[in-house]
Parts: sequence; structure tokens; C-alpha cells
Amino acid sequence: MSAGGSRVLVVDDEPQIVRGLRVILTNAGYRVEEATTKQEALDAVSVRPPDAIVLDLVLPDGDGIEVATDIRRWSQVPIVVLSAVGDERQKVRALDAGADDYVTKPFGSEELLARMRAVLRRKSEDGDSAVRLGDLEIDLADRAVRRDGEQLHLTPIEFDLLGKLAEHPGRLVTHRQLLQEVWGPGYEDETHYLRVHFAHVRAKIEPDPSNPRYVITEPGIGYRLRVE
Amino acid sequence: MNDMRSRFSFDRIAATTLETLAWVGLATAVVAILDSVATPAGLGSLYLIAVLAVAIRRGQMAALAAAVLGVLILNYFFIQPLHQLTIADSDNVVALGVLLLAALVVGRLAGQSRLRAAEAELRAEQAAAREREAVMLADAATALLGGTDDLVTAISAGLETAGRGELRLGASSAPDPQDGEISLRLPTDARPVWLYAAASASWTEADLNRIATPLARLLDVAAERENAAARSAEAEAARQADAAKTVILHAVSHDLRSPLTAVRTAAAGLREEGTTDEDRVALIDAIEDESDRLTRLIGNLLDLSRIEAGAVHPLTDWCDLLDVISGTVSHIRDPLSSGRIQIELEGELPLVRADASQLDRVFSNLIENGLRFSPPDQPVRITGGVGAGKVTVRVVDRGPGVPGSQRSAIFEPFHSAGGDRRDGVGLGLAISKGFVEANGGELRLQGDSADGTAFAVSFPLVEQPAGVG
Repeated sequence: MSAGGSRVLVVDDEPQIVRGLRVILTNAGYRVEEATTKQEALDAVSVRPPDAIVLDLVLPDGDGIEVATDIRRWSQVPIVVLSAVGDERQKVRALDAGADDYVTKPFGSEELLARMRAVLRRKSEDGDSAVRLGDLEIDLADRAVRRDGEQLHLTPIEFDLLGKLAEHPGRLVTHRQLLQEVWGPGYEDETHYLRVHFAHVRAKIEPDPSNPRYVITEPGIGYRLRVE
Repeated sequence: MNDMRSRFSFDRIAATTLETLAWVGLATAVVAILDSVATPAGLGSLYLIAVLAVAIRRGQMAALAAAVLGVLILNYFFIQPLHQLTIADSDNVVALGVLLLAALVVGRLAGQSRLRAAEAELRAEQAAAREREAVMLADAATALLGGTDDLVTAISAGLETAGRGELRLGASSAPDPQDGEISLRLPTDARPVWLYAAASASWTEADLNRIATPLARLLDVAAERENAAARSAEAEAARQADAAKTVILHAVSHDLRSPLTAVRTAAAGLREEGTTDEDRVALIDAIEDESDRLTRLIGNLLDLSRIEAGAVHPLTDWCDLLDVISGTVSHIRDPLSSGRIQIELEGELPLVRADASQLDRVFSNLIENGLRFSPPDQPVRITGGVGAGKVTVRVVDRGPGVPGSQRSAIFEPFHSAGGDRRDGVGLGLAISKGFVEANGGELRLQGDSADGTAFAVSFPLVEQPAGVG
């Protein structure tokens, strides 16, 4: 798949990792720019905003979470953070600060590219408001879900949840985002709502609900729709 | 105390008087019976017997009283002229004088022997008391040498036996006597210890003071011994910890070096000009696989260090175990492996309170272990349910099982079946157990070794949250 020449800013101070990322992203059709410090990253984003940012959480002059927070004040450019293994808290903090998704170091090239495609995918891609996953079709305009053309009956909340995932197929949606957008402010901690309703959604749309193919859990963080 | 003594003394005087009167009365009765057959002066010697008896039993003063009384009665009732305290016959005067003198001498002699007997008795009592103290201290010393854990308790038990339950010890900064007990601070160097004696006890303050010093020395020796034992235990624990660290360092450096070597070798192979395309793909696969192996090992070491340091700090929230497991399975990269995982959970499981990302680590370890130990054509099954107040999920494999002798050891870090430590296998179960327990759950090994292995993760069944929007 061509990345259509999107410009990606890679923010990392490890030369070997930057070199690897440059090779992977360039081969996938992206144009790569580099920054090695927090300051360089902020300068680069303000001078010439990229289409997406790959951001390491540990930088020599600060921390990636501060970069994400600063950028979010004035830009919605998609941010994918690189987090270390066993660093669940950092991951959650970065997502709360406005990062869109994460990959855990060390990562495979397919994983990184899948995340990049997901954060760069536009809502209105192909001018179609329907998302197709195998034999499943989620029609955001009609608020309908069909399997092999046959309509499945989801409650409004179940459709809202599935719809939030379908707006950005493949992209991580955190518990907080789902609770705020579906139930509204003040419900951010009621994560058990999500457990129960996603169990119902899976029971209706998944061929094998106990081994879900479409709605993927990121334990302790959120959910995403698997697109490939 | 004074009241008691005077009362006691009054009783004694009364008893002495009565007994003296009785002996004199008895002698008088015999004299009266024999009056017709013997001379009064001769009969006077009968009073001598009474005086002797009183002297032996009641002492010198009572004997003197008995002698005077006897002489007066003899004179008044039996010597002419009768019923007067005058004496007609000079023989009788002599006889009475002799009787009085004899009574005095006998009474004095008897009284002295009586006093000596009393002194001997007192000395015997004191000797018995000393013996009792000596036995008690010996028992205490035996308790000390026996190396009992709490020496104050042990010595106290010895004291209670030897002191017939009248004495006890207590270690406290301030005295804490029970009803009516006398307290005495033992002159110990180390912690303060108090000696208590029951109020009714036969122990005087002087007795207690006498045993206080040897007891204190014993306790000091005991305290010193305890300190020495504690120091050597600490030294031993430190030595063992060092030994364990060395073992872990050896294991870790081996586990880290193997994948690193494989990566380095693969890179060198890629650089060779003669390497075929097919080989290049194989070498790249090797680099990826070995890096994954390193990643898992480092992740496991990190988890283990957090668990061992008690720094797990779960972010507890409502968790659907099925939801967590589905997330875990979706992250297992190898499609051949993920196809072998069969989730056989029916319906919905109740939510439990736990940290989802830590449970993800638990199930990831258990499932990967199961995949590794099962034959390639056999599934790893995930079953579960609710029962006995718990929500339980089992990861069941068809591997060779765990021999009975290893069933408890497998949860120890760096233990691994068959000595296979690839991928830090020896850490997975220790980490799983650590995370499950930090989250208030339980990880157990179930199933017999012939039928594969089942690891059961259980959490308490709790009241479910109200209202789900």
C-alpha cells in the first residue's frame, strides 16, 4: 500500500532506531524527517507540520509525554508513541496526553506500518461511510451493521461503541475516550460499562465471541477494530 | 501484720495456760488418789513430771508457773495444816524447796533444748528455702542452655515449677503485676525484666532480692545468646542471598548471551557475499525470532524484579477475564500458535477486581508455556467457570505434565521443566503467580501429570457493579 508521500516526523535520539525507522517508513512510501530532542521536535512541528509523528517517550531533554501535550495545544497531527515493554503507566499517560496510538519496543515493521495506516486513515476515505471487515459491514451513516447483507440488531449504545471504533478502523480508542463520547463527562471511571456492552457487541457480531476477530481488547487501555 | 502477730501470741498464751493447768490438774488428781498411801512430800515428785512435761512442750516460763502452782496446791490441799499456806513439818519444807528447785532446773533445761530444737527447725527451713532457690536457678539455667526461643518465657516457666506457681517473670518497660503481686525489677543490663511474687507466697522480700541478681545474670546471658544467634542468622541469610544472586546472574547472562550470539551470527551471515537469498530470509527470520526471545526475557526480568521488590502496585479495575484473554491471544504473533488456542468459556464470566494489563502478562505467560510444552498438533484449551465463591480460568495443555516431585518447585524463579530455560521459561510461572497474588487471586497447578497440565487462575467472586448504563 502506498503511503501517498505522507511526511512523518521521527522523534528519537537512538541513531540505530532512527536508521531502522527511516528504512522501514521510506520503503513503505513515507517521507521521513528526524528530530532527536524535544526542542527539535517542537520546532519541526511548528515550522512545517508533518502528517504524522512517531515519538519516543524518552528524550535527552525531556519526555515524550510533554511533547505530545505541547503539540496537542494547537495541532491534531496524529502521534504514535514508542513505549518500552512493561511500561503500561507511561503508555496510558501518553494516550491521555493526546497520543493516538502506541507500539511497544521492540516492534516489527508490519505492526508499526499498521499503526501508521490507522492513524492516517481519514474518516471520509473513499467517500464511503461504511466500514467493511470480511463479511461484516458497519454503516456509520445508517447506523446499521450487516453480516452477509443481513442486518444485525444492536442497541443504540452497542452501536455507538462499535461506531467509535469504526470511525478510525485499526486505531486504538481508549476506555476514557469511549466512556466520555458515549456516556458523557463524569463516566470516565465506569470501565465495567465497557466490559459488559462489548461482550454483548461481540456476541452479536463475532463468529466466535470468545475468540474475537474484529473487536480487539488492549488490556487495561482500550479497544480497536482489527482491519487486516 | 501486727494484728496477726498479737492475735497469734494471745492464742499461744491461752493454749499454754490451759495446758499448764491441765498438767498440774492431772498431777493433782494422781496425788489425791495416792494421798492415802504415800507421804505428801514424796508425792510432790509427781508435780516434777508435770513440770517436766510443761517445760518440754511450753518452755521455761510455763514450767516455772507449773512448779509454783504445783507447790502451792500441794501445800494448800495435801500438807498439814490443810487449807493453809503454812507448813508444820520442816521435812515438808525441804521437800517443797527441792521440788521448786528441781522444777526450775528441769524447766530451764527442757526450755533450752526446746529452743535449740526450734533453732534447728528454723535452720532446716532456711536450708530448704536455699535449696528451693538453687533448684529454681538451676532450672532457669537449664532453660537457657536448652536454647528455647523466648528465654524470659522459658525461665518464667522454670520459675513457676520450682517456685510452686508463686513466682513469674515478665519482660516490660514498666511493672505489670497481677492482683496483689509484689514486683521487683531484676538488675539486668539489657531489656527490663520484672520478677513477680504472689501475695500469699512464702517468699519474703529478702528471698526475692537474693535470687534477683543470679536471675538477672542468666537473663543477660540469654539476651547475649539471642543477639549472637540473630547475628549469625543474618550473616547466613546474606550469604544465601549472595549465592542466589550469583545463580541468577549466571542464568541471566546465559539466557541473554544465546539470542545475542544468534543475532550477531545472523548479521555476519547476511554480510557474506556467497549467502543465497533463501539463506538471507532464514537469517532475517533468526534475527527476528531471537530478538523476540530477548524481548520476552527482558520483560520477564523486569516483571520479576518488580514482584520481588513488592513494587507491583496493581491498577485495580473491573476486569472481564474473557476480555483480557481475548486481548492476550490477539497479541500472540505466530498464527500457527494462535490457531492452537481454544477458548472454551461458555457465556459471560462475572467481572473481577484486578489490573488488566498485569493479567495480560499472566495469561500470556501461561498460554505461551502451554504452547511450548504441548505437542504441535495439540491445542491449548482455556476453560473456566464460577464456583466456591471464585471465578476461575484454567489454561490446559497436553504436555508431558509436571512430575509430583516438582509440583511446588515450578513456581520458583529459574525453575524449568527438563532444564529448558529458553526464553526465560523459568520465570514465567513465578511471574504469573506473583502478579495473580498481588491482585488478590490465586494460581494453582491442577490435573494429574498423565493428562497434561492445568494452571488455574482464581479470583474472589465479588458483588457486581450496579447499573451498566
